Amino acid sequence: MSTVTDELATSDPAVAGAIPHSRSWRRLLVRHGWTIGVWVLLALLIVWYSTLIPSFGSFQMASIAKNSLPLVFLALGQAVIVIAGGVDLSIGAQMVLASVVAARYMDEQPFAATLAVGVGVVILLAMVNGTVGLIVYTSKVPDIVVTLATSFIISGAALWVLPSPGGGTSAGFRAMFTGSEFGSGENFWPPIVVIAVSTTVVALVLRRTRTGLSLYAVGSDSTAAYLSGVGLRRSKVTSYAIGGALAGMAGLATIAITGSGDPRASVGANATLNSVAAIVLGGIALTGGVGSVVGAVAAAIILFFLNPILSAMKFDPNTAQVIQGVLIIVVMMIAGLLERRRRRAE
Amino acid sequence: MSNDHDTEATIPLLEARSVAKSYGPVVALRSADLAVRPGEIHALLGANGAGKSTLVKALSGVFPPTAGEIVIAGDTVRLRKPSDALARGIATVFQDPALVPDLTVSQNLALTGVDESLVTPWLEQVGLAGLQRDLLVREIPLEQLRLIDLARALAGDPQVLLLDEITAALPADQAEHVFGIMQHWRDRGRAVLFITHRLAEVRRMCDRATVLRDGRDVASLDPRAGSESTLIEAMLGDEVVATADRTERSLALDSQVALEARGLSSGDKVNDVSFQIRAGEIVGIAALEGQGQERLFDLLSGDRRPSDGEIFTEGKPLRALSPYDAVQRGVVLVPSDRLLGLLPQQSVRSNIGLPLYRRARTWLGLDSDEPARVDDAIERLDIDTRAQRQVNRLSGGNQQKVVIARWLATGFRTLLCFDPTRGIDLQTKRQLYELLRELADDGAAILLYTSELPEIPLVCDRVLVLYDGKIVAEQDAADATEESMLSAAHGLGVSA
Repeated sequence: MSTVTDELATSDPAVAGAIPHSRSWRRLLVRHGWTIGVWVLLALLIVWYSTLIPSFGSFQMASIAKNSLPLVFLALGQAVIVIAGGVDLSIGAQMVLASVVAARYMDEQPFAATLAVGVGVVILLAMVNGTVGLIVYTSKVPDIVVTLATSFIISGAALWVLPSPGGGTSAGFRAMFTGSEFGSGENFWPPIVVIAVSTTVVALVLRRTRTGLSLYAVGSDSTAAYLSGVGLRRSKVTSYAIGGALAGMAGLATIAITGSGDPRASVGANATLNSVAAIVLGGIALTGGVGSVVGAVAAAIILFFLNPILSAMKFDPNTAQVIQGVLIIVVMMIAGLLERRRRRAE
Repeated sequence: MSNDHDTEATIPLLEARSVAKSYGPVVALRSADLAVRPGEIHALLGANGAGKSTLVKALSGVFPPTAGEIVIAGDTVRLRKPSDALARGIATVFQDPALVPDLTVSQNLALTGVDESLVTPWLEQVGLAGLQRDLLVREIPLEQLRLIDLARALAGDPQVLLLDEITAALPADQAEHVFGIMQHWRDRGRAVLFITHRLAEVRRMCDRATVLRDGRDVASLDPRAGSESTLIEAMLGDEVVATADRTERSLALDSQVALEARGLSSGDKVNDVSFQIRAGEIVGIAALEGQGQERLFDLLSGDRRPSDGEIFTEGKPLRALSPYDAVQRGVVLVPSDRLLGLLPQQSVRSNIGLPLYRRARTWLGLDSDEPARVDDAIERLDIDTRAQRQVNRLSGGNQQKVVIARWLATGFRTLLCFDPTRGIDLQTKRQLYELLRELADDGAAILLYTSELPEIPLVCDRVLVLYDGKIVAEQDAADATEESMLSAAHGLGVSA
């Protein structure tokens, strides 16, 4: 038998042809189609919005860019955690904690001191949430349960730090995120640069470094990742720590926009839900391992942007909420149908 | 070739001393001794559930053994994670490739910290020179993933290569690539631990064999001495080994056509395939890897709609929108990946009873015959129900029986078996084939694809050879030989 197969092995065209083949540009388009689609949708919405309101200029651009900052950071953080196979229901509470800590210790301080406090807040949040990741890993309790519990703890801690709205920050700190010392102005470049830089950094870390790839790997197939030499505990802690740091950034953006701290838990709870909606709309699979943070950022901006659009269309805020929910479902349904058609065509 | 005289003197590269592993009360490995010496290809043999995979995992650092010690090149070591074993020159290619599905091939290599330029020559060696590295792993067939995993392992230049079932479902020509590499490793004075169910491969390639039975090593022998049945006896112990002789079956020529395909096509995978299977007939599909057999079974089982052509059951057209429609018409599938069709966390009973749940009476808890149907199926298939609680604790062969038992309990007319014996030990394999014959005698129509070509004439009545999505030959099983099927399967035409 072996002689027969030896002969055949040398002259077999079928096997070489069996290696999957497809053109790289088409593959890139399919693989990144969702991300591209979300950005196109955002562009279309901006164009449409500009025709809806009497005057559209740099003030509106700046307003949209800076006001979407907190959600952009939260979506980035949630994206990192979900890609690594977790989910963080406390991310909004962390944002609140970060903003009140910042408001309390930045109040009446010069720019340099507020900057130092800002860095400290981000590190603090990374450590707090890294610990949460460690708890999730060690306890083997599902992420959703642990982070729901920690969201209560963190919300309570925020009230300890700042029992009622107040505190403040320096004018320079506000300008850094918003482009204006008063939190609102015509200069739209600073918030856009902040969005672009943070998105690029997170995306590059995830896709180009071994640590980032290990997060994707753990979310996609933790057994295969483990057998490939990825440390599961390390990945869990890393993803939660990055998520915490980005929640800290969201808190800093919040105080830069509003100028003071607001410890109410409802702010955080809403923000958490929006962060999950943003990553789902941005094409990140809740099962982990799939999706790009670039899409999640566009989706976060869209989710924020729906508010001014719907109010420009003269919907009352309650109706606007319903419409927002319906839109998310419709978009996800269309996506599901497209995916099924593509599978069938293959 | 190894030098049998001086191997005893050299220090083994990898040694297991009384290694045991249990998960709570479940004992997977009682006590295993194994010594892999430099310059040898060492076979690890045993029936399913004997503890082979457990031993391999302990040796490669997936989990620490409950008792015993692992010795690498004379040093007793504690392996806490897979990278510990890798760092000591023990590289493993697992049965399920350790490649992350949502990352590209390149990203997977970067993840392990392997230099891609070191992998490239080995990819060429295993016949994957044309592989696009920016493909996602999930887009690549399993057989090629095993080879990519092998190439990645080789790039680390390991002292000992552990290959767990790497040749299962690998077409003959690609298996030759693997054998070449194994020989190369032996010739360099290193070692290979080779796990396979194919005894012909063991006798051809291996210098020594360690046999596991019920979690213990029961023999260490030269596989070339004696015959295959020596190995089988060692693996199965005192149990009587039934020989798989082909018994002539007479088929009533006027029996009804149970399943018919007319001009079936699907994209470029399946092209104008027509055939009939009559009740009581077992038809085999012989094909090399990737000739459209997967797609053909997808079409017949209702998982996918054909782009052209029609399927008939008992003369009536079947336009299935999902496998549910096909099951309703008595066409059921036994896939090669057992767990694909099972609920691994559920009990054997509830897995078998699952399709019965579509009946409202079962659903309401009023169904009186459900326990009886399930008992009947379990008994008929001789399923090992010691692991009552969860299907994922069963061995592969028993899981496959659960799949068949489920359809027995549900009732069917046509059974589609896609490589049902992949990675299953000889004894269970025989039981499965006997079962298929029994089912056919009772009037079932069976379509069987198996990657183990020699088995087709033993089980089937008729063979269809598939090449490039088309049926290129039809042979009576009595006349079909491995050579005649192979040459047809390579698209060379039937010489016989």
